[in-house]
Amino acid sequence: MDVGNAVYLAAYLGAGLAIGISSLGAGVGEGFIAGNASYAIMRQPKARDVLLRNMLIGQAITETGAIFSLVIAMLLMFGGMINSEGGWQTVASLFGAGLAIGAGTVGAAFGNGYTGGEAVKGMGRNPKESKLLTANMLIGQALSQTSSIFALVIAMLLLYSTPAGNNLVKSLAFVGASFAIGFGTFGPGFGIGIVAGKTVEGISKFPKQSALLVRTMFVGAAVSESTSIYSLVVAFLLIFVA
Amino acid sequence: MGSEIIRAAALLGAGICMGFGAIGPGVGEGFAAGKACEGIARSPENAGLLTRTMLVGQAVSESTGIYSLVIALLLIFAV
Repeated sequence: MDVGNAVYLAAYLGAGLAIGISSLGAGVGEGFIAGNASYAIMRQPKARDVLLRNMLIGQAITETGAIFSLVIAMLLMFGGMINSEGGWQTVASLFGAGLAIGAGTVGAAFGNGYTGGEAVKGMGRNPKESKLLTANMLIGQALSQTSSIFALVIAMLLLYSTPAGNNLVKSLAFVGASFAIGFGTFGPGFGIGIVAGKTVEGISKFPKQSALLVRTMFVGAAVSESTSIYSLVVAFLLIFVA
Repeated sequence: MGSEIIRAAALLGAGICMGFGAIGPGVGEGFAAGKACEGIARSPENAGLLTRTMLVGQAVSESTGIYSLVIALLLIFAV
């Protein structure tokens, strides 16, 4: 197989992986929110407007990762990336960008879905605190989304700032960077989602403790984030140093 | 060619190592913190004790992530 064919293969395979894997997370997460919203509307039919609105806000944020992947997939297919002059390093970068954004957004989508689901469930339990719950849901989802933004940064770097050439070592280093950030952000994305979801649940049951709970959420989320920062560091090292 | 293949495989291995190695600690630490928040919501007077226990548990859970980081750095710089 020559480089000219391999570039097409890498770009289309990368686009498929990006959108295929990331849709998994968004679908599960948004379904969880919708399921909990239905349950909450059953419990509190009078609060259905607030619940529907909150469900849509939570789903919109859960969708973010899949939109990142859609952008990268479009860039891979139609962004003028398919160019055999870059050699095997471009082949590796295109495949790597697709894998990084596809796998890297799954964890955050699971996490955002869990947080959003717990938020609408909490509103079903305690509709008076809906503003507090929406605010905390958004804070938790933003924390969880950081890991998919790390994946977006690495995917953009792989697309736009990797050098051309035919070096085997550099090519596999780019693929390695995409594995590191793609799978490494799954854990923190999902883990922070669990923290934020449990915090929202606690606030809905005991709204007076919200300050204490949010403080604990930040501490727990910061510790959970550490492994995705390790992955980011390793990915940077593989792209720029190795 | 031989040593180049070894170097390339080491770098790919470093990426795979850090990527999959970070899944467990991330989910595990998040689970620990989530349960700590649940506990603090039920009994806020024990917040200090719960936070301390949460951090100890997270530190233990973090260890495998640090193992992955060490192995990845060794594969990048020492192989």
